[in-house]
Order: sequence, then C-alpha cells, then structure tokens
Amino acid sequence: MEISRDAYRAIEDIVGPDNVTDDPAFLDSYAFEWLAELVRPNRSHYMPRPWAVVMPASTREVQAVTKVCNKYKIKIKPISTGWYHWAAPMKDDEPTVQFDLRRMNRIIDIDEKNRFAIVEPYVICAQLQAEAMKLGLNCNIIGAGSSTSVVASACAYFGGGPSSHYMGNNSDNLLGQEWVTPAGKVVRTGSLSSGAGWFCSEGPGPSVRGVTRGNLGSRGGLGTYTKCAIKLADWPGPAEMEVKGRPPGYRLPIGENFRAYTIGAPNWEAWANCYYAIYDNGLGYIFHRQLNLAGANLATALWLTYIDPTKTLNDVETLAKDPEIIAINETARISFQLILAAQSIDGIQLQDKILDEILSQTGCYRVERYCEQDMAEFTNMYMQRLGHKHCNFIWAGGYMGSWMQAGTPDFVKGYVPTAIKGFEDDQQSHLLVECGGDALMGCGSTLGGGGYFGLEQFVSYDPASDASIDACIKHMEDAIADCVAQGIPLGKEQLYLQIGWTDQRIWDGMAKAPQTFVLDFQRQFKDAVDPNYLGDRNYPWLPEKWGEAPAPAQAK
Amino acid sequence: METKRRQLAAIVGEDNVLDDPKTLEEFSSDESLCEPLRPWFVVKPANESEVQALVKWANATATPLVPVSSGAPHFYGDTVPTATEAVIVDLSCMKAIKRIDRRNRIAVIEPGVTYSELAPALAKEGLRIPRPLAPRANKSVVASLLERQPTTIPRLNFSLPEPLRNCGVVWGSGELAFTGEAGNGPLNLEAQWQRGLAQVDGKGPLATDLMRLVTGAQGSMGIVVWASIKLELIPAVRSSFFVPNAELSGLVDFIYKLTKVRLGDETLLLNRAKLAGLVEPQPAAARKLREALPEWVALVGLAGTALLPEERLKVQEKEFRALVQEFRLTLCGGFAGVSRADVVRLIDGDAGDHPPTLAAKGASQDIFFLTTLDKASGLIETVRSVAARFDYPWPDVGIYIQPQHQGVAHHVEFNFPYDPDDAKEVARARDIYLEASAELVDQGAYFSRPYGYWSELVYQRDASSTEILRTVKQIVDPANIMNPGKLCF
Repeated sequence: MEISRDAYRAIEDIVGPDNVTDDPAFLDSYAFEWLAELVRPNRSHYMPRPWAVVMPASTREVQAVTKVCNKYKIKIKPISTGWYHWAAPMKDDEPTVQFDLRRMNRIIDIDEKNRFAIVEPYVICAQLQAEAMKLGLNCNIIGAGSSTSVVASACAYFGGGPSSHYMGNNSDNLLGQEWVTPAGKVVRTGSLSSGAGWFCSEGPGPSVRGVTRGNLGSRGGLGTYTKCAIKLADWPGPAEMEVKGRPPGYRLPIGENFRAYTIGAPNWEAWANCYYAIYDNGLGYIFHRQLNLAGANLATALWLTYIDPTKTLNDVETLAKDPEIIAINETARISFQLILAAQSIDGIQLQDKILDEILSQTGCYRVERYCEQDMAEFTNMYMQRLGHKHCNFIWAGGYMGSWMQAGTPDFVKGYVPTAIKGFEDDQQSHLLVECGGDALMGCGSTLGGGGYFGLEQFVSYDPASDASIDACIKHMEDAIADCVAQGIPLGKEQLYLQIGWTDQRIWDGMAKAPQTFVLDFQRQFKDAVDPNYLGDRNYPWLPEKWGEAPAPAQAK
Repeated sequence: METKRRQLAAIVGEDNVLDDPKTLEEFSSDESLCEPLRPWFVVKPANESEVQALVKWANATATPLVPVSSGAPHFYGDTVPTATEAVIVDLSCMKAIKRIDRRNRIAVIEPGVTYSELAPALAKEGLRIPRPLAPRANKSVVASLLERQPTTIPRLNFSLPEPLRNCGVVWGSGELAFTGEAGNGPLNLEAQWQRGLAQVDGKGPLATDLMRLVTGAQGSMGIVVWASIKLELIPAVRSSFFVPNAELSGLVDFIYKLTKVRLGDETLLLNRAKLAGLVEPQPAAARKLREALPEWVALVGLAGTALLPEERLKVQEKEFRALVQEFRLTLCGGFAGVSRADVVRLIDGDAGDHPPTLAAKGASQDIFFLTTLDKASGLIETVRSVAARFDYPWPDVGIYIQPQHQGVAHHVEFNFPYDPDDAKEVARARDIYLEASAELVDQGAYFSRPYGYWSELVYQRDASSTEILRTVKQIVDPANIMNPGKLCF
C-alpha cells in the first residue's frame, strides 16, 4: 500500500529530519529480530520492514506523530528496548511507523522516601538499579535482563523476574502511568489523573490501569506508554556494586548480610516441598532457577568454564565428559538459585538456620561446588544484576523458550516430566543443542510474596541452519501436541508461532477458548480507543460473533 | 410493580423478595449524608445462577440493581440507590467458603462471608487473612477487598487490592466471566481445581486486568459471586509495641524506615482520639482516656511465623528497638487504659455490631484519601483549619493513617463524630465534609475511592481517564443497570 509522502513530511516536521528515516538500511535493522526465522517465509531473519522509523523525544511528539498516523492510516508500533520478534511490525502489507523511544531516556525523579522512580521508556533496569542503589533502593529486574526498558515491562509486557518474589512483579510495582492511545489521546492513570502525584496506580474508582496492563500487557499493540512510576524495594547492600573478576565471569562479593546459594533437590517432589517451605517462611531476596538454562548435562561445564579466564567455550565439550563434572551435574540437576539478604547479621544468621531446617525437612541440600566462593560470587553477580543475557544465546546463537505455563509449584511440577521428555526426544534429531532434557529455568515467583511461577525450556538451535530451525519448529509443535494431549494450557511456543499465523487462524483458535469474554471486551475497547485499528494484534481481540455463524462477520 | 415482584420471586423464591416498608427503609439511606432514596425491592439470591438470572432480568426490564454484601450500618452512600425503581441485590446469604487450599494459601469464598466467619475456618488450617482495622462483625470480606479498604500489614501489601486475587463476576451485561488467572480456564471452579489451577494470579486475562475494573467500582460494573484471596500463616508468637510522639512529623521517618525494610507486621498510626475510641466503647470513658494518651501513637506488631518463630521474634525485636533508638523515639508496651491485649483485639477481632466511629455521638462524617506520608501532616493541617472555621472541637476528631502498598501510599482517615438528631451538628458535619474535601483535593489528596461528592471532585479533574472508564462501563454494562448514578456513570 502506497503512503503519501505528505505523511513522512508531516512526521519530519514534528521530530526533525534527523529523527525520522525511511532508509532501507536503517529499516532493516529494526526488522532483523531474534526468532523471526521460526515464523517468517523462507526462514528469513527479518520481520516485516517498517515503513519508517521515528524517534520522538517527548510525549507531545509521540502524540503528534500518532495523530499523523491516524490521518494517513499508518500502523503504529512502539519499541523501547525490544525482546522477541513481535517488537517489529507484524505484516508485510500494512505500512507501519516504528516508534523508537530511545531519545526518551531520562530518569525523571527518584523519590527516595516514598520509594518510587519516574522513568521514560528508554531507561533500562541496569541504569535505574545503579541510581537506586546509591539511595539504598533496588528495582525488580525482569527475566529478560537488565538491559530492558522499565516502562516496557511495567506497562506493556510481563514484569516478572528473579527478584519479583521479594520485590513484586512490575505490574504491581507500576504506579502512575502516562499513555498515548492509538487515537492520540493522552491518558494518565491512578493518582496522576487527579494531579496528586505518581504514587498510586489504583482508581479513582475502578482502575484505568485495568485496561492498559493485564497479564501480558499490550506489547506495543495499544498505543505508546511514555512515562511511568515504578515502586522500588530496599537494598541492604553497598551504594555501588563492588564488582570483581575478569570478563565475562564477573563476580560480586557476598556481603556479610547476604548469602548466595544453589539449592539442589533429589527429585521434583522434594523440590516442590522445598519451594512451599520457602514460600511459607518468607525467605529469599532473589529466587530463581537460572543456571539450568544451559541444560542439566552441560551446566556445570559451562559455568566453570565461564568463570575461568584460562578457558574458552571450546573447553566445555571435554569438561562435560569429566566424571567429576558429571557427578556435580547430578547434584545440581534439579536445582535453583537463592540469594538471601537481611538488615543485620542476626537476621542473615537466622535465615541460614531456617534454610537449614527446610533442607533437613525436605531432603534438599546446598550444591557444594556451586556454593564455593567463585561460583557463589558469580551467582551473586548474575542474579543481582541479571546482566548475562548473552548466555541465553551461548550455545548456537539462537534459542527458543517452550512451555513456561505459570501456576502453583504443584502445577508446574506436574508438567516438568513431559517438558523434559519432549525435549529429550527432539534432541535425538541431533539438530538441537544436546544439553540434556532439562533446560528449564524461571523465576521463583512472578508474584510478590511468592507462590506462583513457571519454567521455560531453553531450546538452543542454530539460526544459520535451516535444518536446525526446522527442528526447533518441530519441537514447538511437539510441545503444543503434548499440552493438548495432557490437557495442559499452551505455553510460550504457541505465543511465538502465532506471530506467523494469519488472523483467521488465530481467531479460529481464540473462538474455542474456554472464556472469550476478555477477547470480546478487548475488541470493543479497541474499537473505542483505536478506531482506525493502528495497533497490531499483540493486543488481541476476537471479531464479533467469530466462530458462531457459518459465515463470520467481516473483521477490520 | 406486582409483575416485577412475581418475576423476581420466580428467580430467587417468594421468601427472598422483600418489599416491606421497614426493609426498604433500611436500604434507603445509610450513615453518610447522601440523598436517601427508597428501593422497590430487596432480593436475596442464593447462588451464582440466581445472580445471573437477576442481572439478565434487570437488563430486560431496565431495572437498576444495587449489590450489597455487608450487613448494616453502611457508611458511604454506595449502597443507597441513586436511580429510582432500584432493586437491592443482598448477597449476604451467599456464605459458602468454597475452598481453603492450605498448600497454596488461597481461599475461595462467596460475597456474604464476613471476617468473623472466615477467621475461625482459616484458623483450623493455621491460616489468617490480612484484615482492615476493626471491621464490624457483619462486614463482607469480598466487599471490603473490592472497595480497597486498607489492611493493617503493609509488608504483605504487594498491591493495593491485595490479598484479593481472582473473582467470578456476573457483569452488567449478564455475562459470567472470571478475572485473572481464572479467566484463562474453564468457566467452572471445580474443573479448574481438577486441573491443578488454584486462582492465584490476579493479573489478566490477556492484556486486561478485569479484577482492577471491579475493584473500587461500588457495584457499578457487575456482581462478584466469588473471590480468591491470598492467605497468611498464623504467627506462633507475637508482640506489639506503641511508639508515642507529640507530633506526627516525629514519626514519619521512623514509619518510612519500618515499611522500607518490612520490619513488623501491623504498622499504623493513630491519634489519641482514634485510639481511645477504638479501645473504649463508652463515649465518656473514651473522652477521659484520650486525655491520658499521647497525641500520636505508632502501633507496631511483630510476629514469629513458620519455622523458628521465637528466634524470629527475638531478632525482630532487637532490630525494632535499634530503629526506635536511631530515631530517638521511645517505646512502650501500653498506656493506662490501653494494653497489648487491646491491640491484639483490634488487630484480630472485629468491632461487633457497633462500629467505634459511631460510638461517640451516634454518627460520624468520615473523610479519607490516599497520599504519601511526607504530605500527611500538611493535609491534616488543612482539615484542622477547616474544622476550626466551623468551630468543630479538634480533639474530638479521630485520625488514622495506614501505610499501604508496602509504605508507598498511605490511607489517611478523619472521623468527625456528630449527633444525627441535632440539625446544627448535621449541617456542620456536612459543611466540613464538603469544604475540607474540596481543599484537600486541590492540595493533592487523592480520593481513590470516590464515594458521593468526591466523585464530582476527582472525575472533573481528568476528562481522558474518565472517558476511558465510561468506555469500560459501556462495554460491560451497556444498559447501565449496575448501580447507576455512582462514580462517573
């Protein structure tokens, strides 16, 4: 579809010529997205190319460009730091302006007393954490790591991470919010709407945030979030992280009021019992199953290589065959990381005693090698900053997370055997990284206070190999088939694959959902706030009466 | 009218349709200064099916419905009809505690379950629920949570609606749908339980947080027929302390630090009139008691729960005492007439059938809002100056400050006792309410629960968010049959 050059000119007038481009070289850098090859024709690494990229510097500019897009019926897709292929435009035949929010990068304020920060969309977790720690505060860093946008996780995506167990999910940490709707209206939520400041997200009356921030957020499909306030937690550590070591295996010394453990379990039943005991006892500043992302058969070899400056990745294969390493693998096979923090020495010693009691009661244990100083300090660094996200891609340059259905520990324990066996079976193709059947990782809790989480299977594949890409796709389809066969809700693989599906296929599936109320609600809400349907289907909806009549109503 | 009566009786049974003058009178006004209006019927559904049938009937007959879960007295006008020909949907008979899941610490209850009914059932499992301060005995747990009434343990308050998680809602359209995690699964709780789902996660479903649309809604979006609630363990050992001070400002940094490091369970601030009124039901004795109390008291409960409870309490006490010393405050275990036992009663018990705020003079005009603690003293001064303008005796005013959302937000509440039979006192209470509210909102007080007049104040300040709420209302209650006239609807 041809768009008038007048639209480009109008956008240029708003942001200036340096802040808008339709140069194909730049556009393709936005289309090049991780996971694209799993859903795009010919296993292309490129999602649809944007029609233009604009870099607004303020809410006013976002609003003005949004209005231009409405006038010319151009789709809108904001991106802050991006993660996953759905950060790009969705369709080749729908001209889309990608809003790159990198110029909106200010920490506007940190209210030390009231423990919240007001940030723009390109403020990343690491940036905020560094500033917050100077004030004895900390921020919840989401699972996607410290280089991600605070606004994106709080307003538009999921918001859970290793520290959510103690610090809360960013959906609950979200306070005031500023939102430019797809129609170009500026909406402020909670206390901000009353001019009372940024401290409260609820109300007045029913909470407007209920339409902007559900479970997964609208992922760029419902306008642009231009600022938010985020609740901070206490940080009982030093004002600056005193990082040691050589790259890449940086270490963070463990303060006298901290502990960094890897806890192992003899079986998944014991693991669940240990989880529930940690939940009941309120332990854990950070609670996460992280190091297993490398795969249960390779994890020890990888991490001991990673922290040893004399070794390289080439050493992993040899090390993994070492009987001593294999023995350590077995003790760490069903394990998770637990960082304890206290306000006093008495407090941390008490937490140790409580943990000892829990381990004694459940048959779980500290994984000795992982709790030695080098690994403990590395674990502390990894978990406190979550800056090692390159490790997600370490084996072959590509990974895809299957499963990740969230639920109670008993619910998750129920699907773990199926997830492990399914991955083991698919590794027999020798086209996926053979790291063992259990590369399951995930937050100790995605909800503040604990009790709820999911495990994501890290399936590493080679994005440069068509055969490996196909094997990964097959694994995704196998995981879906396993879920259907066992009555388990579908996991992340479905979410990834859907990006390549037609609207009709997606709506056919949605129409069979156990409850379609929210899909109908979102359609009607979209009709109201996005009358030109400029937001994409990352904010999903179900066309009216879809699936009810032989001839479905024409969808917009 | 008779036709409507027959139709209602067909849904809930003849005995559960009430239209006798006394019953209608009870629901035509409350303790607030809102305009009275008599409903036509009061109906008492027994289950979700009957509620859904009622809502569908209301849509067919364009009849306003006003859901009510708690017993009288009601306080803020939200249960008094604003539209004529209304039917009160009295949910107090829906008393099922559907499930107590000890391992996941989740209870699923119907809206008629009160705090005094839920507590013993939970105690059998070693569990408890974070509660508001001294709820009346017939206060519905679900109603309290839906209205975001503050609870007393800020460290557990990861969000303002906490511990509310999922809800089953008959929306104004008549459609039944679940919120949060439950909204993804089959539309049947038993079927969800069989699949190992426990209604834990309140977010969603999808990109919408439906629970957030029914909280604070004063029954204007739909009728909640069940709710899941996160539970806590009952402490094995407890202790409570008073930290007195002549000025609120002297306690502010101390409370900030307590909530920051999440030290302590119950954490709240009371002025002397409020504390005296809570512990002493007799007005004369309460007046005498308050003279002996410090102007402000921080009340802090410490608790040892789960493993090693005594050691936990010991460490907490040590850290707590150190903090008291750091802020140059004093610590005491009680005052003449106010003991630790009184504190436990306040925290764990209920206020019986006679809410303390009504004890002094028979009625109370309450003003409450959210703010940050550093602004509380200034806003209190605003209210004090308004009270002085109307010659209201300031020592009679009860003030309660409750840290919420782990100390980021603070509920600030004023109680102005007055004699409901004295026209001058009634007029004065009304004048103070109107004038103080207007000044407070101008100075940044946030009326997050905008009952009555407050709705005018808050919704006129932001047209955009008001328009969004009206859009939501139009979707879920297109015929506007759910408590019309409230909020901005």
